[in-house]
Amino acid sequence: MVLELQKPRPIWQIMFSTHHTDVGLLYTITSIAFFFMGGALALGIRAELFFPGTQIIADSMTFNRIFTVHGTAMIFLFLLPFASGVGNYFVPIMVRYKDMAYPKLNAVAFWMIPPAGALIWLGFADFTWYATPPYSAIRSPGPSADMWIFAQKILGVSSVLGAINFIVTILKCKHPDLPLSKVPLLAWSFLSASLIVIVAVPTFAAALVMLLTDRLGVSGFFDPSKGGDPIAYQHLFWFTFHPEVYVLVIPAIGMMYEIIPRFSRKPIFSQSSGIFAFVMLSIVSFSSWAHHMYATGMSFTEKTVFMIGTLAAVPASGMHVFNFIATMWGGRIRFATPMMWAVGGIALFFSAGAGGVANAAMPFDFITHDSYWVVGHFHLFVMGTIAFGSIGFLYYMFPYITGRMYNETWGKIHFITAFAGTVMVFFTQHVLGLYGMPRRVFDYIPSPEYIIMNQIASVGAMIIGAGMVIWLINMIYSAGKGKEANMDDPWGLGGKYYFPHQAKNPHH
Amino acid sequence: MSGHSNWPEWIYVGVVICLLAYVGAEAWNVERLVEHTPADAEVIKVVGQQWFWTFEHADGTKEVGELHLKKGQPYKFEITAKDVNHSFNIHDYVILQDAIVGRVNTAWFVPDEAGEYIIQCREYCGLLHYNMRGTLIVEE
Amino acid sequence: MDKTIALMSVLTILIVLPTIQLVFAATDAHEYVNRKVEIWNLFFKMMTIAFTVGAVVSGTLIWLVWRFRESHPHAKPTKYEGTEW
Repeated sequence: MVLELQKPRPIWQIMFSTHHTDVGLLYTITSIAFFFMGGALALGIRAELFFPGTQIIADSMTFNRIFTVHGTAMIFLFLLPFASGVGNYFVPIMVRYKDMAYPKLNAVAFWMIPPAGALIWLGFADFTWYATPPYSAIRSPGPSADMWIFAQKILGVSSVLGAINFIVTILKCKHPDLPLSKVPLLAWSFLSASLIVIVAVPTFAAALVMLLTDRLGVSGFFDPSKGGDPIAYQHLFWFTFHPEVYVLVIPAIGMMYEIIPRFSRKPIFSQSSGIFAFVMLSIVSFSSWAHHMYATGMSFTEKTVFMIGTLAAVPASGMHVFNFIATMWGGRIRFATPMMWAVGGIALFFSAGAGGVANAAMPFDFITHDSYWVVGHFHLFVMGTIAFGSIGFLYYMFPYITGRMYNETWGKIHFITAFAGTVMVFFTQHVLGLYGMPRRVFDYIPSPEYIIMNQIASVGAMIIGAGMVIWLINMIYSAGKGKEANMDDPWGLGGKYYFPHQAKNPHH
Repeated sequence: MSGHSNWPEWIYVGVVICLLAYVGAEAWNVERLVEHTPADAEVIKVVGQQWFWTFEHADGTKEVGELHLKKGQPYKFEITAKDVNHSFNIHDYVILQDAIVGRVNTAWFVPDEAGEYIIQCREYCGLLHYNMRGTLIVEE
Repeated sequence: MDKTIALMSVLTILIVLPTIQLVFAATDAHEYVNRKVEIWNLFFKMMTIAFTVGAVVSGTLIWLVWRFRESHPHAKPTKYEGTEW
């Protein structure tokens, strides 16, 4: 970005550029903008739940719309585009190619995101990010619901195009001297995640078309009154979106694989076990989708199969944690801001995984299903692991993108507030779930346990919010007025960095 | 990068797999126990609709929003929904089963303590989902 | 290989068979299964495992962070420093 500030070019030149660093910049900035918008909604939700009864949100319909857009925006408009942004910056450099394989396709994939985001935000649908029929087919008010469906359709096409681009770039465009086994793990993470996208997303794309025609009244795929089956939608949905969880988490782990060895001043403990674990994860990600559906009346056998399929993801995830710990072991670790985020992310990754193992145990589902336990559990993943990895990585990219250093003290304060806040919000929500509080509720029973735990969670959310404001100010200020970074080695760590600023952008 | 021995990692993976196997076996066993409905369970038909619960006892009496059961007697719920999906939940007795239009799901339990318990909906079902509650009254 | 087979047989006899027997013996019991007790017991067993493993993992992580920080008195450069790793 500083390249832009030092050698200004007209903004349309960046917008219509097909160069991978320009597209990466667009992805990154767009995703961060949506992150702050989605985060504002989260704070609204937590403020509403601070006391039982109506607080700041007028009615339950508005509340339902807010949590729907919060979830959709955070997953599809923040986490996925952010990962694509990182991939755009780093993958071509890591495989030693001049650009992405299909630069124009790359730009097209990005430019599908803003209109989709506009559809989601202007529509403000209410049927949760899961859009389950029959509710979504027969009761959810239009046109917001239809706008959401179109937005998802566009986003699906965008991620498939992006995935094709990453796969071709890594497999076909890597330098002939570079064997696949030596491709850095960050690029490997994009390869695994993109393969998952290619296999998983078309299923939901089909379900979306069926849902739309159901809403138009011309079909009854998921409408029981017309002979359809609402459970079929859930299978199609989760066949896409359980693997999608890994599409989110694998690049975040890849980002940690870039940060942790760097700041430990040691190479990764085992490149081969990292690759093995990525490949394992992308395979077993397809074996667990129906663990979201234990309560829909599945048979004992089905439940057992999906429990085993779910537990199968744990050894591979554990191998990543082992790899991180073994890499740090014997290092000389500099706890600069990116490293703090990465280590915090590992700690929360373990907590999220342990909760996931408990969730997979099928009788336990009778306690936790659709309760706040689930909310706490998956937020430990999406916030505690994926967003932590991503935010840490943005700090790591910051000098490369802008040529300037962020403010280290404020970066650390940001980490501490976010870590403390995350623990306060999402661990408390696990306990709330054990007390039986359902998720997606506008109001709750005014029992003292519910009130106090919701208040702890809300305070934690406000702490996270304050930290994120600090982050925003730090980023904006440092991008223009920060200390100039030593571009060869911004943290004084030694070793060979992958430098996005070394990419040969024809516009500079 | 490579060339060094990796045995600690494999031992670690082995330990993880053993723990998972234990968790899986325990879960399988408990699930098997709680799924086995006793033959003398009395059937209660449960219907969820926006935004209340209806119950029909074996003798044909109907209740709306309230359910009266006797302590010590096994009951089997046959749960379905009329309009959109709901989820029938009595958290204090760990009963949870989705109410799906066009399907009948079952859950059984034996109330073991007299008192009043909350029945709630756990699946998002629209405007008043948060308020879709009922009361279970267990009598001596 | 022989040793593995022997070990597996011993394990089967000592652990797996009694477990299976216990599992199927319970079916004949006359009392009703108390659903909430069974499920919450499972929960507490799982939490015992989770918190034990969690203590080991986070303990390791905290020790690592404390011991291998660059400001630790015994911190010494890794053998890769100054090279193009």
